[in-house]
Amino acid sequence: MGELLFEAKGVGKTYGSNTVLHDIDMQIYSGEVIGLIGENGAGKSTLMKLISGVEKSSMGEMFFMGKPYSASSILDANHQGIGMVFQEQSLVGSLTIAQNIYLGREKKYSTCGFVNWNKMNQDAKKALERIDMDIDPSKKVRDIDFAARQMVEIAKVLDVVTEAANGHAIILLDEPTTVLSDEEIKKLFVQVRNMKEQGNAVIFISHRLDEVLDITDRIYVFKDGEETAVMQTEGADVNLLYEKMIGRSTTGEFYVEHKQTVPSDEVILEVNDLSLFGAFNHVSFELKRGEVLGLCGVEGSGKEDVCAVLVGDAAPTAGTIKIKGKECTFANPYQARKKGILSVPKERRDEGMIGILSIEDNIIVSHMDALSNHSFLSAKKTRRIAQEWVEKAGVKCVSINDRINQLSGGNAQKVIFARALESGCEVLILNHPTRGVDVGSKEEIYDLVRDMTAAGNSIILLGDTLDECIGLSSRIIVLRDGLVTGMFDCPVGEKPLQLDIVQKMM
Amino acid sequence: MANSKKSFHISDFSKYMCLVSIVLVFGVFSVIIPNFMTPYSLQNMMTEAAPLLLMAGGMSFIIYTGGIDLGAGAMVSCTCVLSGVYVAQFGNAIIPIMLAAGILMGLTNGLLVTKLKLPSFIVTLCTMNFWSYIALNLCPNGSEIIPMDKRFMVQWATQKVFGIPIMFFIALAGVAVLYIFQQYTVYGKAIYGVGANVSATRLAGVNTDMAQISAFVISGACSALAGALYAYKLKSAVPTVGDALTLTAIASVALGGTSMAGGRGSVLRTALGVVTITGVTSGLNMMGVDPLWKDIVIGVILIIAVCLNTDTRGRDLIVK
Repeated sequence: MGELLFEAKGVGKTYGSNTVLHDIDMQIYSGEVIGLIGENGAGKSTLMKLISGVEKSSMGEMFFMGKPYSASSILDANHQGIGMVFQEQSLVGSLTIAQNIYLGREKKYSTCGFVNWNKMNQDAKKALERIDMDIDPSKKVRDIDFAARQMVEIAKVLDVVTEAANGHAIILLDEPTTVLSDEEIKKLFVQVRNMKEQGNAVIFISHRLDEVLDITDRIYVFKDGEETAVMQTEGADVNLLYEKMIGRSTTGEFYVEHKQTVPSDEVILEVNDLSLFGAFNHVSFELKRGEVLGLCGVEGSGKEDVCAVLVGDAAPTAGTIKIKGKECTFANPYQARKKGILSVPKERRDEGMIGILSIEDNIIVSHMDALSNHSFLSAKKTRRIAQEWVEKAGVKCVSINDRINQLSGGNAQKVIFARALESGCEVLILNHPTRGVDVGSKEEIYDLVRDMTAAGNSIILLGDTLDECIGLSSRIIVLRDGLVTGMFDCPVGEKPLQLDIVQKMM
Repeated sequence: MANSKKSFHISDFSKYMCLVSIVLVFGVFSVIIPNFMTPYSLQNMMTEAAPLLLMAGGMSFIIYTGGIDLGAGAMVSCTCVLSGVYVAQFGNAIIPIMLAAGILMGLTNGLLVTKLKLPSFIVTLCTMNFWSYIALNLCPNGSEIIPMDKRFMVQWATQKVFGIPIMFFIALAGVAVLYIFQQYTVYGKAIYGVGANVSATRLAGVNTDMAQISAFVISGACSALAGALYAYKLKSAVPTVGDALTLTAIASVALGGTSMAGGRGSVLRTALGVVTITGVTSGLNMMGVDPLWKDIVIGVILIIAVCLNTDTRGRDLIVK
């Protein structure tokens, strides 16, 4: 173990009378990767905010390099050698990669107010090469994909902190792998190990426990704002972590397979030779009542586009969609919903939650025309329906009049599931339904999926992980480069191996 | 999260802004002007406020969607002129005719905004010139007075029942209808959804185009009705009556605490905003302040109100 870089003693944070973080002790040594896990709302992000200078702690003390540490802003923290890569990307789309990396630090390159862009680009190139990224730094950020953006963000933070504190910097990664593909995650991990070898320390937050076990040296577990366990990664396993996080052990059957339904023979949705120019070609499949059909494929395989076409967000260039034997076309998601197809979108915050509206409005929004009496809604009725769903789906909230953006990720997702179930649509498209959701809520969401099929709905699932897709689906279709390359039946007890599916994906 | 106890937050003020400002305005003016709170003056203010209540009430719906209607004042001018010129011919049937005209004007705006996917401020900035053209074309020599022998047709609107002008009752009924629409109909909910997050609302299977169009149609109908009321009130066709009203209406909405970014607000709050603005303009009038100052004062009020409504992070102020 290296020297002690950072120490927190009894750190906590209160908002008004609400304590969200309490009595946290943490030591970070040089050359160490620390895992930080816990359910949503456990206080991980709050601690990160305190360390990175976004907010001030309400109690306790922090030390960095043996001296008392406090940061008044992110920039201040950066100058001291602590940098954070944010969960929500903080790059400016209309600026170039180089401009983003040196945002706020342009002075270095300017004389009399004129900036030497060439020199900045050269330095940016070096900063990117440090993390093995070969990309032209004069490209605009909005022209590169999300994974590349994430890497640029890491390059930026790394550059800032190494400038300030080479060899003893601390880098905070808040769920960096959410938007990355497996391949990119591997690359990221190589970089994390590089940083660590140079003597820096990394704090790694993720909901994916296997990743945490893979990359970290030590793991801190948080629950309800308190530290429930600190352990060496060696010797820890998923079950143990799960138990510490949730406070109960995992129910052996994570994907609630005992409730997996056997689909009936009734075909609800039939897709024939569907194509969208430039995205996918000749996709055909049948979806039966009570079935969970998993769509697998790497990023860019066309699975997202298939969904977009099915929910009416894009018009197919060829092929037919039949619902219960009747051919349909839809020009927008409204028409698709009228025909019985609705999605739980991938980007929850931007496409799922209607942020400043109440939980009640968010639940009834997809069903209000049917609930109304000549366009008039009964407040009593909608309130009752919303109340029922909040209880059924286990949404933790004070009242159904709360704004949905006051909820944690998992709870908000449950509200959106309630909306999908309330809509009365028979075909539900779940696009990454558990993205950014903590483990406890995940299990409840899986349970909701089972309830959906038991109620006779049919589901098309784009899983967050392959494991999830296999666990939940009763059938899987694999796409590669816009073509269907494989189909697997996944009855309970005879789930296909990940390896077989991956072979069809690559 | 629970940051409610975090000392005093500027956005907390916007919740009570409309009430605080009413008390402030009426309190100050009744001290300065002895006649301010007399029945006669209050009756005047009610007649003054009636068309504005309708106009600002309708405008609220466009602002809920996150849009804006810069042509609302021109619509009022246009319908005021049409009513004033044609009331002699059609009698009181001019009111439903104006309503239809307003719906048509709103529909034009709504279709342009949704089908061509243009920002509402561009569309309304352009279409307003049509409405002004109609107004100025019909009244090339400035105002035209409703002929004396036809006055009996429009007299009723300014008559008083229980001391309250009939016009004011019409405006109150209008606000009540708007409130029911906003609170208890599918369209009302959809309009808020569009303002709060248009892509999420669309993906939830809501007909967002329809919601936006309906907001414009309502606003058009309300502005047209306001225009007719002006003709009845002034007993003439005035082609410039609406010139300053767009500003006044938007200021009333903002004073009510409605966010310019959309997704929030209420016509009841807007109504309180109208009361405040009317108080200010009447007060200045009675003090004998040069009328040229009126719009400057309202402009300042609008800036202050929007400032207080806006989220301190500044993410709020987007006109779609």
